Amino acid sequence: MCMKSFTKIGLQRWLTRSLAAIALAGAVAFAAPVQANDTIKIGFSMALTGGLAGAGKGALIAMQVWAEDVNAKGGLLGKQVELIYYDDQTNPANVPGIYAKLLDVDEVDFVVSGYGTNLIAPAMPLVMQRGLVFPSLFGLAVNEKFNYPNYFQIMPSGPEPMTDWSRGFFEVAMAQDPPPKTIALVGADAEFAKNAVNGARTNAEKYGLEVVYDESYPPKTADYTPIVNAIQARSPDIVYVGSYPPDSVGMVKAATEVGLKTRMFGGGMVGLQFASIMTALGPKLNGIVNYDFWVPEPTLQFEGVEAFLAKYQKAAEGQGVDPLGFYLQPYAYAYLQVLEQGITGTGSMDHAAIGEFIRNNEFDTVVGKVSFAPNGEWANTRVLMVQYQGIEDNELATFATAGTRVVLYPAEWTSGTVNYPYAQ
Amino acid sequence: MRMPALKLSAFWICAAVVVLLGIAVTIFDVFAINTFIYFAAYVVLQYVVLATAWNIMGGYMGYVNFGTAGFFAVGAYASVALYNLIQAPLALMIPFSGVVCALLGLAMGYLTLRLRGVFFAIATLAMAIVLETMILNWDYVGGATGAYILREREMAPFGDYVEFLFFVMLLLAIFAVAVARWLERSKTGRGFGAIRDDEVAAECAGVPTLRLKLIATTVSGFLMGVAGAPFALYVGFIEPSSAFNLIYAVNAIAMPMIGGATTWLGPLIGALLLGTVQQVATVTISSELNLLIVGVVLVFFVIVAPEGIVGLLRKWWRPRKWWRPRNDR
Repeated sequence: MCMKSFTKIGLQRWLTRSLAAIALAGAVAFAAPVQANDTIKIGFSMALTGGLAGAGKGALIAMQVWAEDVNAKGGLLGKQVELIYYDDQTNPANVPGIYAKLLDVDEVDFVVSGYGTNLIAPAMPLVMQRGLVFPSLFGLAVNEKFNYPNYFQIMPSGPEPMTDWSRGFFEVAMAQDPPPKTIALVGADAEFAKNAVNGARTNAEKYGLEVVYDESYPPKTADYTPIVNAIQARSPDIVYVGSYPPDSVGMVKAATEVGLKTRMFGGGMVGLQFASIMTALGPKLNGIVNYDFWVPEPTLQFEGVEAFLAKYQKAAEGQGVDPLGFYLQPYAYAYLQVLEQGITGTGSMDHAAIGEFIRNNEFDTVVGKVSFAPNGEWANTRVLMVQYQGIEDNELATFATAGTRVVLYPAEWTSGTVNYPYAQ
Repeated sequence: MRMPALKLSAFWICAAVVVLLGIAVTIFDVFAINTFIYFAAYVVLQYVVLATAWNIMGGYMGYVNFGTAGFFAVGAYASVALYNLIQAPLALMIPFSGVVCALLGLAMGYLTLRLRGVFFAIATLAMAIVLETMILNWDYVGGATGAYILREREMAPFGDYVEFLFFVMLLLAIFAVAVARWLERSKTGRGFGAIRDDEVAAECAGVPTLRLKLIATTVSGFLMGVAGAPFALYVGFIEPSSAFNLIYAVNAIAMPMIGGATTWLGPLIGALLLGTVQQVATVTISSELNLLIVGVVLVFFVIVAPEGIVGLLRKWWRPRKWWRPRNDR
């Protein structure tokens, strides 16, 4: 039968029936659930599949631990807490729809962000439009363009996130004798890495360092040996790297194979904080100075962090997530603690009042005391610079104990001294 | 019994009804639809445009384009560039992005249309990768770090800005389907069909194959560009990995295959069906199963109904005798 027999009246009828069926299915799928007044609903998107799934799943477990803890204490304002979340698939295009669903169909009382800059920014227009308090998880300078007063970002990058991020690396380097004079900057062509290197470039200028190598590489680069060789050819005193987990591993391996001769190596390498990567690289990490947010050093034993980690590590067993949970997880717990204290502190669910309260108060969390600058970032930077020291094996237990990641910066939290120059 | 007037105008009556319905729900809030539906419907309609655009080359002419995400992203980034340059409104962004992508399509046509089959497909895929690399290194539109576009909160008379975006995408979807339908029924469309069936024979029969292929790549590129134009306003933040996401290329191929690739109706049905299922899955199953759903449905249709839903309907659905066209009785 040819297309001519597929007539228009029949087509219209078919289309009408199809549309009716779709509408019915949609109505069933998106029908607002019966609302219960005895719960406080907190909604968010989270990367549970896609590129950031490993970290996203870990963050989700931490958030569920927080909900269990709060509910065990009797909830918030006498109501139980319920988390409602959807997988954003690490795709920013999914985020606006998810937050619209959370707010208009699920009718959540609060929203918090998913993990990462790319997945926080798409939620901002809707959040701002509704005037909501928006605690966010590990976004880099998201609020610079939006200037939204109720945005509160939990990553401790500080009030000037672009440059504060790498400031510690330079402070540590410049405190050595003799101080470095030249620097190599290298990073992936991707959002965080580019921002990290841009900040490092600004800092290099500020500290009077001559940039002898400044290149980026495609995120899917397979062999990093030529890059490290090119860096070695310029003989920089220190090397700052902005990279994502796969390229961080590639750069460390290449530096080891080439035998990179430099005084300090590291800086903004994402992934070296993950248990799976640390155990894979083992002794190759020795000497690297890199950023971190929490390590099991005696100076960072904040109230509640040990209990949280014990619960997290138990819940994480068999879930295919980071078994230690030192990097992102305490902060995923803490940003909900900030919201919790905002709600209990005001005794209300009024977003304007809670926003005002969070702006003007300091909060006790499992990552220490947190207060926010007017732009919603931490009032003072606490991006740690740690150095991997004394690692002799690839066992998980090695990285769970103090002494393998010594805190060098900020001074308030230091737990050891730097091995200088870099050992490779 | 003959109803020529209805036959002639049915498409446009449907289109007018859809537009009126769009006006009713956006401006007059007739059904008090919640915001989520606008967000979800926007994405579905965006796929209607992309699938229809892909089908002009892939379905009508048999040239498989794996570079849909490249055209879509270039459309999105052309908007960002124009916005950065003159703070252009969406009404300017859309034609600008369309023209940029039409020129890109034309260039791609000149460069690749001497290739056929799998070689053409690989060339389009390579083009998307080259484009992504260029955008990654073009700091004016944000480069690898991404770019923010702050959209208005409201747009009169639509109210919420996303309702306006939904309505714009609705018009673009109707425009894309109308263009595809017109092409399909025109002399040009018959030329496309001749190329699809046997390009050498078509050339021998006097069909201007190169010119037709350039028309197809240009029109297809234009439509993909206009689909991408509002993307940055929809998301509020654009960066290369999301704009060049594989899902656009996969869906743009899968939707016409599922709906039926030889007619304008196929991509429309495929996009409405698969797009809706994906939107529902995102907030129900809530996982990357979207891609799995696309894969499973695609395999199912390739095996059970290689001509898509339209092909199935042709087999199963017999029109009444009085209505069946004379030459089909």
